[in-house]
Amino acid sequence: MSLVKPEMKSFVWLQTADGLIQQVEEEVAMFCPMICREVIHKSMGSSKNHAIKLPERVTPAVLGLILDYCRFHQVAGRSNKERKTFDEKFIRLDANKLCDLVSAADSLQLRPLVDLTSCAIARMISGKTAEEIRETFHIADDLTEEEKLEPIKIKTDDSRVRLLNRLYARKRKQLKAREKSKDVEVEEERVEDRSVDDLLSFINSGDEDSKGVKPAKNKKRNRRKKNLRKDPSPNIEKKNPSYKEMDSLSSSHNSEIEDLPNQSISLKFLGYVSTESDFDDGLDPALKEQLDREVEDFAQRLNSVWSK
Amino acid sequence: MDTNLVSREDYITDLPESIIETILTKLPLRDAVRTSVLSSKWRYTWTTLTELRFDDDCCISDAHHRALPETGLVKFVNQFLLLHNGPITRFTLSSEYLERCPYVDQWLLFLSRKDVQELSFGLAETEWFKAPSCLFSCKKLIALELVRCELDPPLHFKGFPNLKRLNLQQISIAPDAVETLISSCTLLESLTLSYFEGAKLTVRAPNLTYLMLEGYFKDICLENTPMLVVVSIAMYMAEAYQSSSCNFDKVLGGVPSIQRLTGHSYFAKYMSIGNTLGKIQPTYRQLKIIDLYQVSFDDMTEIMVILRLILSAPNLQTIQIEGSSWSTDPLDLDFWDKECPRDATFAQLKVVKLTQISGLPHEMRFIEFLLGNSPALEVMDVTKNVYETDEDEDMFMEILAFERASDDVEFMFAEDQV
Repeated sequence: MSLVKPEMKSFVWLQTADGLIQQVEEEVAMFCPMICREVIHKSMGSSKNHAIKLPERVTPAVLGLILDYCRFHQVAGRSNKERKTFDEKFIRLDANKLCDLVSAADSLQLRPLVDLTSCAIARMISGKTAEEIRETFHIADDLTEEEKLEPIKIKTDDSRVRLLNRLYARKRKQLKAREKSKDVEVEEERVEDRSVDDLLSFINSGDEDSKGVKPAKNKKRNRRKKNLRKDPSPNIEKKNPSYKEMDSLSSSHNSEIEDLPNQSISLKFLGYVSTESDFDDGLDPALKEQLDREVEDFAQRLNSVWSK
Repeated sequence: MDTNLVSREDYITDLPESIIETILTKLPLRDAVRTSVLSSKWRYTWTTLTELRFDDDCCISDAHHRALPETGLVKFVNQFLLLHNGPITRFTLSSEYLERCPYVDQWLLFLSRKDVQELSFGLAETEWFKAPSCLFSCKKLIALELVRCELDPPLHFKGFPNLKRLNLQQISIAPDAVETLISSCTLLESLTLSYFEGAKLTVRAPNLTYLMLEGYFKDICLENTPMLVVVSIAMYMAEAYQSSSCNFDKVLGGVPSIQRLTGHSYFAKYMSIGNTLGKIQPTYRQLKIIDLYQVSFDDMTEIMVILRLILSAPNLQTIQIEGSSWSTDPLDLDFWDKECPRDATFAQLKVVKLTQISGLPHEMRFIEFLLGNSPALEVMDVTKNVYETDEDEDMFMEILAFERASDDVEFMFAEDQV
């Protein structure tokens, strides 16, 4: 490291990712820990040929800003008030520049500038709606309608609240249907007293016995069948169509809402498996659990962005 | 269109994780959670935050709802913690409305499993929160702050092995339990006890550098605190300061490295018991600032405490004293002529600031003593207590007439409307 004589400043050579080389006053550049290390430990930066290669994130424009910052703050005599005033003016930049700046400062390990810029970015985010934030930072909106759970506002004529209310309504319907199926399950027990023949014929006879029972009912049945590998043959064919639906149902939460109204699967399978009634309990909770989880997850996602 | 522009449309989402975490940490939690709807990449970014702060502003801003924490804050914390993913290093819960409830205990249990390092709990005033035993199994705690809480350490509790900062405000705890707690946290550097209703307190903390005590103490003893640098004590009980030994030695006997001493309320009175000017030791070579409030200049013993302090601090730079004196009867005035060490020199004393001064005889003698023995004095700032005026300008004139050892003293006089 060269001596610093009062009349003669020494310079450090820096090279940005685009190949541009420039020289900067040593005390200014050394304010950055990363540059400091390069100079001291690796003896770089003393000439044009040995210019310090700055990290990729440091573009020439941003480097200019950072050097302005360093140039001001490396002077020891400044008061706290002066520094604060400078900082406040310094970060009056647009979102794009701020993000470039924080990224570059981070790669140069200039912690005070990272904190300062992060604060400024946080101020740009705080209190804004998602749409406003997306606009400020040009974030691509790639969430589906259902995934987008906007904060609830008091005024109900907001379109987002209407959407949410629609989602709520659908969920309520689903829950109600589940309640109903619970009642139906109770009835189920009674029906199971019938003889097997009776039940078989009952099943084979009609197609409709729809009480608007939720597909979940059949999901459970099908599941159970699948797990037990017991197939009373007449039931297999009937089950298969709904089996497919069951898969689509369980695949994603999003489609769950769409698929719901389309399903009207019969209750035919109700009574046939008195012997499997124990498994009834075994799977029912498991399925119920899965449903509970889905509802909870939905409710959580709704409430996790509950702000007002 | 420039391809660079298109691919870098999004300014912020592709920033390094550490930067995004820094940004999210500077947001109120509610806003941080709301970033989950920005885009698919932002969905779960907030769930890895390690510093969490929950307070009454977190959830519902409507004042009515805020007063029912069960509907707002509790729900928010529960759901947040369930969705949170990863370690939690700092957790702050501060609510004026939330009273003790089973959830709070569960949150503490949850945090104890997450190796939390900094914990701060402050709940409503109405019913104090009783800290569950899982609090004492947070082995990684570095900083603990509790407000309005009942602490009952279990018998097998061996202290927080990593605790450096302890701040207890309005805590209900058995007296020996708090002493054991302090002494068992061997790395403790900073201790604050506020609104403390304890009787005797003995502090044994070999690494302690900062101490603040405030409360209804009857007796304070700093037994093993060799590293103490800043001491601030406020004592509120006027009576019952009995002592068989010298309180001054009990408090300041073992703090040779002290740099700053602050005393409020009846501190000077407490220190005066058993004190003599006979021995001026130990010497406090690092003591630079003395800050005493409500010192009664009527009481000669309190004045002797101040004298002993300033005489044993050769490098003292600043004295700030707030007086609290009433009587104009000049008792023991001959002390100043006969017993006061006139040849003392306060070589480094630069700033003297006295407030609530009524111009009483002892006060004037004290000012005279300081002025006459401080060759480096730069500022003599005296504020008069107007309530007790008999003679107005005379006091300031009298001060100006005192003999001064320093030529560059700047006098600042003011009157305080009580």
